Amino acid sequence: MYWLSGGFVFRKVISPFHRLDPRAKLLVSMEFFVLSLLSSTVVEVILILVAILLVATVAKSLRRIARTIAFSGLFAVFIFAINFLFGLGLLNALLYSVRFLAIISSTSVFFVTTSPDELEQIMKWMRVPRDVVFAFVTAVRFIPVVMLDAFQIMDAQKSRGLEFEKGNVLKRVRNLVPILIPLVVNSVIRSGELAEAMESRAYGSTPKPTSLYGMRLRWYDVAVAVPSLLLVSAVALVVVFHVTLYI
Amino acid sequence: MSNTASIRRGPGNTLASIDHLSFRYPDSPNPAVRDVSLEVREGEVVLLAGPSGCGKSTLLRCINGLIPHMYPGEYKGGVTVGGLKVAETPMSTLAQNVGLLFQNPENQIFMFSVERDIAFGLQNLSVPREEMRSRVDETMRLLGITALADRAPHELSDGQKQRAALAGVIAMRPKLIILDEPTSLLDPKTALEVVALIEKLNRELGITFIVVEHRLELLIPIAHRLVVMDNGSKVMDGAPQEVLADGRAEGYGVGIPPVAKLYSALSKDGIRLPKVPETPEEMAEELNGL
Repeated sequence: MYWLSGGFVFRKVISPFHRLDPRAKLLVSMEFFVLSLLSSTVVEVILILVAILLVATVAKSLRRIARTIAFSGLFAVFIFAINFLFGLGLLNALLYSVRFLAIISSTSVFFVTTSPDELEQIMKWMRVPRDVVFAFVTAVRFIPVVMLDAFQIMDAQKSRGLEFEKGNVLKRVRNLVPILIPLVVNSVIRSGELAEAMESRAYGSTPKPTSLYGMRLRWYDVAVAVPSLLLVSAVALVVVFHVTLYI
Repeated sequence: MSNTASIRRGPGNTLASIDHLSFRYPDSPNPAVRDVSLEVREGEVVLLAGPSGCGKSTLLRCINGLIPHMYPGEYKGGVTVGGLKVAETPMSTLAQNVGLLFQNPENQIFMFSVERDIAFGLQNLSVPREEMRSRVDETMRLLGITALADRAPHELSDGQKQRAALAGVIAMRPKLIILDEPTSLLDPKTALEVVALIEKLNRELGITFIVVEHRLELLIPIAHRLVVMDNGSKVMDGAPQEVLADGRAEGYGVGIPPVAKLYSALSKDGIRLPKVPETPEEMAEELNGL
């Protein structure tokens, strides 16, 4: 699980790609996503995957993305096997499995390079209701805290003789109960304290809260966004609507 | 206590006044706070002590407005802060007058970076961005955490978290700051740093503090007043040395600092020191002077 999650967790790095406006990053990631769906041959989809890896290199996150690909490789093999066994042919089976890898890595690029702060800004920009944005922010903010909490509870229960790794599947699932109950109770207490602290800092007192910093498109973002958008639109026109482009 | 005249007064007038306040939570048969009256003057550092469950936390919530705004219950008497009646003033206005720092700083940092979190309260008050920027920077400088501006909460030590959480409160520029056991999760050295910070904020900015703390010896040197609560009522109120010298304090489960105990032990043996010492150093000086 850690391997998979690692490919979707933001890492603080200084790179030209990280510096982009979060909306530009989202756009690039979505473009790769769309291109992967539009691709119809193995060569195309491999080219897309290579392009994603190039972006990952610029973002100094190649290792992260490679890890994601390595992990999803298992699923890709599965997809390949199923399609091949059901007689879709070697090339199609290959296309589907590599396309899966391209889709996964295109989303991974976005999440690895976009800080939770930037995700929040994007959500605000999309006019997601404030309470929903705040719930999302606190959920992400408290992931490490709750994880630490879980480890402590596990240690406490282990030291009282609870053995997690024993028994059949059913027994193992039941073993989780003594961890989950204290964890949930702790989290409920924590949320109460959070609510108090929010109230004490005037949360919700104005319908239009201001923000310490906002998003601003610079030439740099436009230089990435506009040409890439044109390129993807052209590809879409050709592939989906069979428009012949005379260039 | 009758000898209130000797209390070191802060420079100003009454900032917060609690007038015959009683509060009972709906699911409890007994009131958590019983008929408490207390006046806090501008610039004072008031230390609030008493056994766990004596009503300190409830009293704090009454001053900051969480009671009755967030917790309903049986509310009698009144609290006024800076001329505002707490029960009738919205939380957002109160937040600019009374800051409350809770025990666990972890649960008061909402954002992914220290400076974003300091700005949280200001955002909620619709402070314009330029002003927000300068207030956040100023607060970070004041607390010596400018270098931590971009750190995520999980990248901070406990002491740094405490400072960051305090910064979030201070940025809203309240006149009164309430601290609920601010050092309970800190090691002794970091705890002393937090105490020094409280002293600095009190001296330089004239911020009034109400501090709940079990480790009295840490805060006695900077406190102007010590209030002891037991079973929901205020039982003692006066200059720290006088309250500590009074034999009753120990009976209320207040952790008497060792120097104060030594002072009592010495006076029982007929050795009278000029005054109750606040620190071991003061005690040594007084003993040398005998």
